[in-house]
Amino acid sequence: MQKSKLQFKIKNYFFAVSVIFALLLIAVPVFAAEIYFKTDSTTVRPGDPLEVLVSLNTEKEDINAVEGTVLFPDDILKLENINEANSILTFWPEKPRVYDGNKIKFAGITPGGYQEKTGLLFSITFQAKKEGAGIIEIKDSRVLLNDGQGTPTDVKTPNFQFSIFKEAPISKSQILVSKEDKDQPEEFKPEIAQSPEMFEGKYFLVFATQDKGSGIDHYEVCEGSKKKCVIAESPYLLQNQELNQEIFVKAVDKSGNERVVTIPAQKPLPWYKNYFVIAILIIGLIIAGAILRKILWQRFIKSR
Amino acid sequence: MKSIIVTVFLILLALLSGSVYASIQEASTSLICGDGICSGSETCSTCPADCGTCPPSGGGGGGEAYIPPAPETKVIFSGRAYPKSTVTLLKDAQIAATTIAGVDANFQMSISGLSAGNYIFALYSEDKDGRRSSLLTFPVSVTAGATTNVSGIFIAPTIDVDKSEVKRGDNIAIFGQSAPQADIVISVSSEEEYFAKTISDRDGIYLHNVDTTILDYGVHYTKSKASIGNLLISSYGQVISFKVGTITVLKEIKPEISKGDLNNDNRVNLVDFSIAAFWYKRTISAEFKLKEAERLNGDGKVDLVDFSIMAYYWTG
Repeated sequence: MQKSKLQFKIKNYFFAVSVIFALLLIAVPVFAAEIYFKTDSTTVRPGDPLEVLVSLNTEKEDINAVEGTVLFPDDILKLENINEANSILTFWPEKPRVYDGNKIKFAGITPGGYQEKTGLLFSITFQAKKEGAGIIEIKDSRVLLNDGQGTPTDVKTPNFQFSIFKEAPISKSQILVSKEDKDQPEEFKPEIAQSPEMFEGKYFLVFATQDKGSGIDHYEVCEGSKKKCVIAESPYLLQNQELNQEIFVKAVDKSGNERVVTIPAQKPLPWYKNYFVIAILIIGLIIAGAILRKILWQRFIKSR
Repeated sequence: MKSIIVTVFLILLALLSGSVYASIQEASTSLICGDGICSGSETCSTCPADCGTCPPSGGGGGGEAYIPPAPETKVIFSGRAYPKSTVTLLKDAQIAATTIAGVDANFQMSISGLSAGNYIFALYSEDKDGRRSSLLTFPVSVTAGATTNVSGIFIAPTIDVDKSEVKRGDNIAIFGQSAPQADIVISVSSEEEYFAKTISDRDGIYLHNVDTTILDYGVHYTKSKASIGNLLISSYGQVISFKVGTITVLKEIKPEISKGDLNNDNRVNLVDFSIAAFWYKRTISAEFKLKEAERLNGDGKVDLVDFSIMAYYWTG
């Protein structure tokens, strides 16, 4: 009886081990893209900056779209800055911005795809408020393949653990003196467009550029004169739908460097409707009239 | 006195003609300082962004020290496309330069005036029939004052088929363009992937007839890649589909509706992105719903998937 029990046990063990081996043999390595955090130090002192790079490892997949939400503990970290300079994402349906005090949502694309291990998405600079420990995590992430169908791929999002205490070594990000950015934002070509599906078919302006040093801070659009500028986002509904004036688009980076691009009037006024031309004509006529009057007066005097 | 009148008249005439000429010029040209092209009235003093900085004026003997210009920050791209094809270079997804490849399919193009930093460059070409290649991207870290060479580029072949549906057992022609005398590998995906080899002619044209007896009924996908002397190998190009069925239907020559092109200009660029971004996470209008169904993924909303489709078909 005992012998049969032993045989049964051995059989069961053999079966279990066989199944495990079979599974190991069948198992195919699963590649998953990874959105991860990169930083110089995981420990900082209260009051110190903590710079975290949100990066993408595509794991040999060809990726062209990424989105997610970064969650951080706002009781011990204060958000100082979000920077998209040098990002692999060239266009943002949703630029990384803070919501509800402790969430940073983002969605961006890289046309043509990207296939590397260290693709910077954006960087976040925090300031450590007080002593404590916490994690920064990513939720609701999606990484899509560059296959023309937007197929999602598996994505890993490891948490970033950090601690803040008075005795922490001075962080590198505090030692590093930030390099001065003297370069203008990149060259760009704004375009005037029209679509029946938006702005009731009115003309609008689209523009986008990058700044490799400090990142783009904002854009300004000036219609007609460089003195009449408004802070704008693309797409921008043009006020002057006649398109008969120059448009200036100014890209300003976070260091205050500017690049201004001029779009000539698409439908310039004919010369007889141009105030400048009319003013010259009037001044000319006045001068000519005055000279003529003087000549006639002199002739009149001579004749007397 | 007459001479004064004549002089004033001439000055006025000059001012007027200048103003009218400027108006006409504005209407007929679209010069933009900052477009990367030094043209028209742009000079190094009026538009250094396009024409570069002005060289130091020589002579004079003022005793000023000559400061040599800072070395240019430049990236040079070279490789092979298709004979006499247009090659387009995108810098961070916007068109930065175009060139025409030689009869041997070789091309070279450069871009300067860059800042130090990370750029995503991308290249594509159009074959003799206007078919576009897939985008080939190059993340490049640019160093200030240095010239970076990106060489050995080999743009993937274009591909097309002569039938949208083929009767099982009949042949289907798979063709396209690559570099001259290149070894072309054609892949046809079925339950089993089927490979065929051919060689492009001196114009880079290739054609291969596939006997569909070996394929099951249903939709199949095909793509191609090229190699020269086993040293220069392209990636696989665009994937296209055809159906194996019970009848043969020739592929229509009419231009296909291109995915991602929301303003019907046969390009996918910032304008299309902006239109899609306008509807991002909003309830889309009935009018836009039709376009979304036709040119994006057709799920009745604009989200990341639609932008991914757009990014795949991007032309700049």
